[in-house]
Amino acid sequence: MPISSGGRGKGTPSLRNNNQNNGGSLLAILVVVSVVLFTVSVRGGETGVLGGVRSGFQTVTSPVRYVGAAVASPFQGLANIFTNLTADQETLSELKAENDELQSRNAELEESEQTATRLQNLLDLKDTSQLQSEAAHVISGSTDSWSSTVTIDKGTSSGFAVGMPVTASSGVIGQIIECGATTSTVRLLTDESSSISAMVQSSRAQGMLTGSATGQLSLTLISTSQTVEVGDIVVTSGLGGVYPKGLPLGKVTSVQNNPGSLYLDIIVEPFAEYGSYEEVLVITSLTEGQQASSDDISSADAQDTTSTDASTSISASASSSSSDGTTGTTTGTTTGATTGTNE
Amino acid sequence: MQVSDRNRDQRSILVLALVCGVLQLALAPNVGLGNGRANFALIFSVCISLMVGGRKSVLAGFCAGLFFDLSTTGPIGLMSLLLCVSSYVMGLEGRNRVSGDFGLTMGSFAAHALAVSLAYHIAMLLVGQASGLVDVVLLRTLPTAILTILAFIPFAVWLTRAQPSGPSLGGGRGRSSRGSHLDMRGL
Repeated sequence: MPISSGGRGKGTPSLRNNNQNNGGSLLAILVVVSVVLFTVSVRGGETGVLGGVRSGFQTVTSPVRYVGAAVASPFQGLANIFTNLTADQETLSELKAENDELQSRNAELEESEQTATRLQNLLDLKDTSQLQSEAAHVISGSTDSWSSTVTIDKGTSSGFAVGMPVTASSGVIGQIIECGATTSTVRLLTDESSSISAMVQSSRAQGMLTGSATGQLSLTLISTSQTVEVGDIVVTSGLGGVYPKGLPLGKVTSVQNNPGSLYLDIIVEPFAEYGSYEEVLVITSLTEGQQASSDDISSADAQDTTSTDASTSISASASSSSSDGTTGTTTGTTTGATTGTNE
Repeated sequence: MQVSDRNRDQRSILVLALVCGVLQLALAPNVGLGNGRANFALIFSVCISLMVGGRKSVLAGFCAGLFFDLSTTGPIGLMSLLLCVSSYVMGLEGRNRVSGDFGLTMGSFAAHALAVSLAYHIAMLLVGQASGLVDVVLLRTLPTAILTILAFIPFAVWLTRAQPSGPSLGGGRGRSSRGSHLDMRGL
């Protein structure tokens, strides 16, 4: 062995030898493979071959995710106990002094009761809204830092498909974006790329509820002529035919009417915040009554028309007040922006 | 003697792959810092780079990246690209220098974690998945890098204990060149 590994190999390694040790050629090959995979993945989305591979991979690895969720759940229960201790220190201190075992039992019962309440709420929601839906458990959160998603424990084998809306008892949580045989990935409302047709329940003003990287929800495309107040409830409008009409989304926490702006800046706090739900309903199909009616669509169109008129009148008044020849530019810009919104 | 060492390396790699794979699937989704999630694929690839280096680390980086890509909702191929490049660089430059030294290992890993995380998120920004660079850096990259660095600490301790400093044990060059020499001769 010393003879075979001597002299030439140690002292003056050949270029080929060096390259093999460092893996330069392998790196080049794998970089090309990665770039090809990346390109195919970005172009094909979730519908191509790679989507199928990912779906299969998630199905195969779902048992490990289950184990992770099962291991993490007691710690969540523990966190609840600590929260309760700080919330009502005196009562819980006395209870703890009296009987630790009773407290432990109490925590277990509370957990069971909460689960029962959540399930009952889900059933109530299902009955009230006459949803055609299937219940599922949330088994894990987002695996990467990029997206706000949760994974649920049912997939195509339960009749789920990409695009189906998902709701908790407190409100809508998002939409399925990936569907394996036994698991599905749900994009949450708060995800940056999430966008839902919504309306303010009291004034029926219609707009789009969009997520952001900060986890904040914004209700956009509500014109300044509409009335929206802090505390108003925001629900799904049913436009687009994906979400049933009237499901709760959140509550308005801030409304700003910036001078010169066509639309209000509205911040919405979601009813179903991440971590507050463990069981969800996946809405598998919509009945005719749950979709937006022609009246709703006309109302949305009328709102856009009003917005257009308002913007045009603003432009007109702007042009009449300024006589410097910028009328065409001002009107054109405003109308163009409004038309773009309508589209 | 050498056969025994190689078997031990392979066993270590296998166990490490299993541990990191399970942690990526089971732990990472349940422990978060803001939007950040620990990247155990990166940890695995860096460990292999520091333990073995060379071609194996590049291959391990690619496989780990692919595993990460498949377990997330991002585009497939991006993390595998970043991790095989990162493994190559780490194996090439950092291996002999940092192995056996906890501080240097952590420092080197932190730099790689930040670079990989930033590159990943900027690539996501370029494919149109984000609205601004500030969000990408402050809300995505930093939490991810911090959590990943924290998650690497036990691995770094294990690495420095398993591979004490010094050219005879840390290393790579002598053993690798002999190994590859034998490989070339079919031994």
